[in-house]
Amino acid sequence: MGTRRVRQHSAVSGPPFSVGRTAAVVTLTLATLSPVRLSAQSLDPLALRFAGMTAVTGLEQAMTDSLLALLPGSTRDRSGNVTLTLGQGAPKRLLQCPLDEVGYVVGNITGEGYLLLRRVGARTTYPLFDQQLEGHRVTVFGSKGPIPGVVAVKSTHLTRGRVTTGAPDPVFTVDNAYVDVGAATATDARALGIDVLAPLSLAKQPLPYGDRLLAGPAAGRRAACAALVAAVQTKPKVRGTVVVAFTVQSLYASNSGLASVKALLGPFDDIKTASVPTRYTDTAVETVALADVDRLEREMVQWMEGR
Amino acid sequence: MRAERRTGGRAVGLVAAMLLSASPSVRLSAQDSARVSEAQAVLAPLVESYGVSSAEGPVREAVKRLLPTWAKSETDTAGNLWVRLGQGSPLVVFVAHMDEIGFRVTTVRDDGSLELEPRGGFIASLFEGQPALVHTGKGDVAGVFIPRDSGFTRHTPPPLRVDVGATSRARAIARGVSLGATVTMPKQYVRLAGTRATGRSFDDRVGDAALLLALRHLDRATLKHEVIFIWSVREEIGLEGAGVAAAALGTAPRRVHAIDTFVSADSPLELPNFAVAPIGAGAVARALDNSSVTPPAYVDSLLRLARARGVALQVGTTNGGNDGSMFTPYGVVDVALGWPLRYSHSPAEVIDLKDVASLADLVRAIAESW
Repeated sequence: MGTRRVRQHSAVSGPPFSVGRTAAVVTLTLATLSPVRLSAQSLDPLALRFAGMTAVTGLEQAMTDSLLALLPGSTRDRSGNVTLTLGQGAPKRLLQCPLDEVGYVVGNITGEGYLLLRRVGARTTYPLFDQQLEGHRVTVFGSKGPIPGVVAVKSTHLTRGRVTTGAPDPVFTVDNAYVDVGAATATDARALGIDVLAPLSLAKQPLPYGDRLLAGPAAGRRAACAALVAAVQTKPKVRGTVVVAFTVQSLYASNSGLASVKALLGPFDDIKTASVPTRYTDTAVETVALADVDRLEREMVQWMEGR
Repeated sequence: MRAERRTGGRAVGLVAAMLLSASPSVRLSAQDSARVSEAQAVLAPLVESYGVSSAEGPVREAVKRLLPTWAKSETDTAGNLWVRLGQGSPLVVFVAHMDEIGFRVTTVRDDGSLELEPRGGFIASLFEGQPALVHTGKGDVAGVFIPRDSGFTRHTPPPLRVDVGATSRARAIARGVSLGATVTMPKQYVRLAGTRATGRSFDDRVGDAALLLALRHLDRATLKHEVIFIWSVREEIGLEGAGVAAAALGTAPRRVHAIDTFVSADSPLELPNFAVAPIGAGAVARALDNSSVTPPAYVDSLLRLARARGVALQVGTTNGGNDGSMFTPYGVVDVALGWPLRYSHSPAEVIDLKDVASLADLVRAIAESW
């Protein structure tokens, strides 16, 4: 199979605030924090921007392109991770943010131009993850750019009289998903740059609400990585060496992105993973408090500076 | 979007920026024909207006803005918008509804979340775990439809609630939320490949657009009788606005043409037993639905007219009721028309813009020649 270049929005994601084997859990204590270096007003748009990106696990290239542009001096390793080394000498520590998300790829195209899907990545905590596709808009990242589509759903009107009380009420699974991009034939779909293995996700429309809450698919991961970018952009006075890594494939193949960073740039004396608490986790409205993101950014600066 | 209601605030602005950034970079269609371009220009702002049944004000204002300058409109006590033209018998009425399905707030809980009741019929799971908009007198308040935390083996969710990020009843109310406020989810008109498009509430904004397009092109000098165009309210909750209009007109009209969705089985998920009208193949004579039957002679006459005017027309039967059926008790013949729609009452309805142009041409032809 030839090399496929897929254009995507980039994205960041990450598990809850966790720590590597050699490190203790870092307590987020506001009382010990240094003065804010980056205003909330500047971090909010970055979190929103990242929440609008898509990085299906294993197919994160477009997001990593964005990160490379945002972080001068950063490089992409052979696995696709984006890394940036700050400081020098001991101790050597790793600060990582997993950027991938559970998503889908096109598995087949029907003669009528509908796309059929295969899920990529299995670690979701929301049992109805696939059902969120039904009747909603999606974006297919084809070789010519993003293509809008929708996932077919039965018309309400045509179910009347055909569904009786007490009838089975099965959940929607990815095997029920027919993606309609407006194509009438498989040839039409391919002419749009869509083929097998094109990544696909729910259309990303992150929603700010309440008192600086942000909702969207994988909003927690995206916001955490935005905080890490913001922390690096403050140019912290790093103690020893800190490798900043935005890792790929955390949700597939045994977290191979992180393993790759360890193998290529380790060993590390300490490992820290950027994450923030989330509500409605793994749903289309996964919610993060941007105040928590501010706190995370400050806390990561402190960690890099060894304070 | 809505100019007449304040939707201000940093949050909405940021959302708008994100929506723009998500626009497809691929050219999805060849150059549109003038008719398709015009249909889109009229339809898109209607689709992006919000108007749950009984709260159609933003849609009504959008319709007014899109009327030709010569058209004089009036709003009746129910909220229906009327435009009258021509003189003499027989009186012919066209009616398309402005409202859309959604919710209404019934309770503000102590924890700040909102309990809802549905307005119209739809699949509740399509809203679960999705962004929400509460339409208030102070503008739109963003929130989320709370996803269930149990019962994961069923497709259907428990009654939906909305979280607007308030932690108490008082804080929710301070945001402008009140009992009776309507609730939807954010929506966009989005172009798909070819001449197809997706969005929510094409039912019945396409009908609204078809009336506007017909009015724009109508040759008023050729009218041989009076014609009334009505944009109605509260169709989704029982054809209520049409009922008021029908009572006002009584036995005066000869015919009524409900201009509403033809829910099509042109979908990989539907049975092909009936409702088979492919999208892109033109307007549809909705000859039999759950509320009315068009006399066969009228269907034949309509087909002759369409042929004579070169308008693409399909004939079919589908489910659902239509506003015209409120006129039939007065002896008015209901010749319902529509356009084929996929995935009705979902956030991802799909149409073909060629059908919108076809439907507008048919409305114009009927007004001028039948």
